[in-house]
Amino acid sequence: MKTFFKALGNLFRKPVTIKYPFEQTYIPDDYRGMIGFDENLCIWCRRCEMVCPPGAIVFSQDMDGKQTYHFNRAVCIYCSECVRACPKEGAIFQTAEPAKCALKEENINNGWNALFDEALKSRADYAAEKKRLAAEKAAVLKTDDEKK
Amino acid sequence: MGKQYEIPLGAQHISLLEPLHFKFTTENEKIVDTTANIFYVHRGIEQACCSKFKFRQVSFVVGRVCGLCSISHSTAYSQVAEKLVKIEIPRRAKYLRMLVIELDRIHSHLLCLSHVAENSGFEALFMKTMQYREFSMELLEAVCGNRIQYDFSIVGGVARDLKPAVGQMILERLKKFKPQLDELVDIYENNWTLSLKNKGAGAITKEDAMRLNVVGPFARAAGLAIDVRNETEDLLPWKEVGFEMVLDTAGDVHARNMVRLHELYVSMRIIENIIARLPESALITETKAFPDGEAVVRIEAPRGELFYYAKGNKTQVLERLKIKAPTFSNVSAMVEAFKGNEYGSVPAIIASYDPCLSCTSR
Repeated sequence: MKTFFKALGNLFRKPVTIKYPFEQTYIPDDYRGMIGFDENLCIWCRRCEMVCPPGAIVFSQDMDGKQTYHFNRAVCIYCSECVRACPKEGAIFQTAEPAKCALKEENINNGWNALFDEALKSRADYAAEKKRLAAEKAAVLKTDDEKK
Repeated sequence: MGKQYEIPLGAQHISLLEPLHFKFTTENEKIVDTTANIFYVHRGIEQACCSKFKFRQVSFVVGRVCGLCSISHSTAYSQVAEKLVKIEIPRRAKYLRMLVIELDRIHSHLLCLSHVAENSGFEALFMKTMQYREFSMELLEAVCGNRIQYDFSIVGGVARDLKPAVGQMILERLKKFKPQLDELVDIYENNWTLSLKNKGAGAITKEDAMRLNVVGPFARAAGLAIDVRNETEDLLPWKEVGFEMVLDTAGDVHARNMVRLHELYVSMRIIENIIARLPESALITETKAFPDGEAVVRIEAPRGELFYYAKGNKTQVLERLKIKAPTFSNVSAMVEAFKGNEYGSVPAIIASYDPCLSCTSR
């Protein structure tokens, strides 16, 4: 009998679910959302790249030494380990905004793997170039010394 | 003696949450023998932890071993890594770890209970339990910033602090949850249909539980007083925050439900005590040491004793990491407890074991 009245009462109760796409679910103020990056503050120490567990951050380097930050929101696990590792406050930061879904057009897995390898290669190339230039310079200096 | 039939169940089955395969030998409806195959979801996490990831990153990797007891895994790994680098973590970090472990226990136990109800054929109770479980997910989101993968324990301490507002929110929600839990206990204990299905099903004796090395609520329902929280004091001070053992004697599905429900009261009390007595200190102990030597850690996950072994060799990458999940300890007893039961009660019994196969096969 108790159950019967309870069931009757439940007919007039509001549903506990929410209409999701039209109504936002609960998101706390310090939700672990998108990772932001401020190029002007960054000191290019690459510590965030070193600590990132899934490898969602990578820096590529041009031949003139300028570094570019790459971030993959689909690979990132939003653990904010990069934010803790960053020596410069505010260069890399976490917002409360949830990340958008990855789309097929973005080719987020294979494209990212290729980009990652390319970035590492660009850095190796830059380092090799720098080493070669330094060696050339040293050689020039050496010949200058010998001429004197 | 009747003719014997072999009935396979799993690895994909509507009543199974996890890829678990059982082969039942039945006589009419009675089960006389069972074999289990559990390694369907091997992901090679141990090998990845010892080759691909640095030891500080591993606490995030092992957090992905299991969705339900993520915090137990990452805490256990953090503790074992802290033993290897020989540091003591701040007191506040210990308390916050306990807080999240207990919140996690609430949501894990409620999930298990709801599935027992569903597999016993009581869909309405499944919905109700899931509805009441939502508050714990939201609290975990408020504390850790995410609903399931918490990434809360890191080597040396915890990643985030508990804001006073969030602490207040937890207390309010717990106060609201208490009458709901009373209602659930009343239904699980006294509902006639559920009792018919659950009382006496999947029973295991205390002697068998002892012999087969059972852990967690499974063992406590059989009257075996096994709880890591009761045994270890050095890493997390459980007794300080009011831990009490919950025991039952029957050892059947109903007893397991009751143990889980009454453990929720203990968890709630622990959380209230932690928030009331949260000490003020730093969150992380910084160190630049590399792991060296061997260490072992045991921790009470929602399903029982979780065991971690790690070996370091003074480099960034560990030499060996071994995870032994609670379900792995329970498999031999699972097979044993089916004997003599009707085949029809198998789904409810499996759900009451609360098997976590992604932990077990890693």
